[in-house]
Amino acid sequence: MYLSIKEIVKAANEKQVPIYELAIKQEMEVTKSSFDEVWEKMEKNLETMENAVKRSVEGDGVFSPTGLTGGDAVKIKKYLESGKSLSGDVMMRGVQGAIGTNEVNAAMGVICATPTAGASGTIPGVLFTIKETLQLSREDQIHFLFTSALFGMIVANNACIAGALGGCQAEVGSASAMAAAAAVEAAGGTPEQSAHAFSTALQNLLGLVCDPVAGLVEIPCVKRNAVGAANALVAADLALAGVNNLIDADEVIDAMYRVGRQMPRELRETGLGGVAETPTGIAIRNKILRKK
Amino acid sequence: MSVVTVKEKKNISYKSCFDVIGPVMIGPSSSHTAGALAIGLVANKLFKGLPKRVVVKYYESFAETHKGHGTDFAIIAGILGFATDDSRVPDAIKIAKSQGIYINFIEESGDSPVGHPNTADIYLEDDSRSIRTVGISVGGGLIKVKHIEIDGFSLNPQGSLPIMIAISSRNNLELELRRIFKKYDMDINNSTNMEKDGKYLYQYDLDSQLSSDARKELEKLSDIANIIIL
Repeated sequence: MYLSIKEIVKAANEKQVPIYELAIKQEMEVTKSSFDEVWEKMEKNLETMENAVKRSVEGDGVFSPTGLTGGDAVKIKKYLESGKSLSGDVMMRGVQGAIGTNEVNAAMGVICATPTAGASGTIPGVLFTIKETLQLSREDQIHFLFTSALFGMIVANNACIAGALGGCQAEVGSASAMAAAAAVEAAGGTPEQSAHAFSTALQNLLGLVCDPVAGLVEIPCVKRNAVGAANALVAADLALAGVNNLIDADEVIDAMYRVGRQMPRELRETGLGGVAETPTGIAIRNKILRKK
Repeated sequence: MSVVTVKEKKNISYKSCFDVIGPVMIGPSSSHTAGALAIGLVANKLFKGLPKRVVVKYYESFAETHKGHGTDFAIIAGILGFATDDSRVPDAIKIAKSQGIYINFIEESGDSPVGHPNTADIYLEDDSRSIRTVGISVGGGLIKVKHIEIDGFSLNPQGSLPIMIAISSRNNLELELRRIFKKYDMDINNSTNMEKDGKYLYQYDLDSQLSSDARKELEKLSDIANIIIL
């Protein structure tokens, strides 16, 4: 099993294969599955992601039981149709998919955890927007998910992917870095460029806290996936432009882990710090607790 | 009780692409909903039947956020044997109560007994028996099982799944089990044997998921042993 991003890049270069191929081969070996079994499982994940994004822009949108989040993917879609976005359609389409997926998650709908439910919007957000730009086939999209998975396992095994352990940098940060690496490959970048994109994306979200208002996966979680998707697109572009990092992806993963260990528990998924502890955050928590 | 443990090799937690892209699940939280369901499912597999009484103790982050994350219904859904994307998951508590199951959720104020912020201690009982398990939700829907109490035995597994447990009055079951492991090319990371009052327990921490053929062959032993695959 690959235990570092350095190993992945080396193997991809030595074997002259794309990273998704390394992922599929490892999956087949480690889980003793056939190619078809592995492929179909990832295709089911892709379908789940598509359904969530689709659901998020139907009618007025999807709303959580508390009403704290919902309907924003629809607003963004309408805004996109005006053609006047500042950050550009590709970026905002990614944001729309990311926010929409997390709205479905908050509504307790069906999503695919990537790598977690709280960060479930970032990867589909990026994938479905670059799908348009790069004209990705269904096969390309499944390849994207395999590449993101291989990078994801490195961070999961060497650091963590749970907000309770490492804050949001471990969830949305990881997802953003996974998406950036996979986006680079989908755009024809090299394995080194994928690693640089990963490093950039994760560095830029270091220290991001997990501060869920009322302990729910709504505020600020839904919009954090907007930055996850946006940051991934930026990191991918930087890498493809040849902008590199002196501090490599594996070292950044370790830095993320140590930052997480240094974070007080108030900032690690307890709802006792950050925006959860603002006057409004506290009022929302009390209101919801009273209702129960 | 006498215990024999065989030394283990290093454990990597996330071994499959689908541990980080997946599971397909009902939201909102992979660690506090899907992971919680997985811990409930461990209790379900240990108990093998519907309990009459359920006591769930939460520690740390679970204790703070279980209400908003659907951890309560997720754990009960697991205890009832539902999958992570089963549409009945949010209604699991209603369903359990309609079947006469008594449920008690307790928010513990102290630190987790196993040193993890997402710890749930589940106790199931009916008129004649009980089980207890302590699981941790490590992220992305993945869990580890840190403590099991069943049939008078007390185990502290390394944690990663799959774990296989066989309980039998036969003291030579191990030979048969190892034959099956070898036949299906199954790697064992750690194993523990225990004996108590004429009953033998064999626990194996497996390196990867069992194939359906391996599972079927192990289940053929169910008339001479209680075979549990977590």
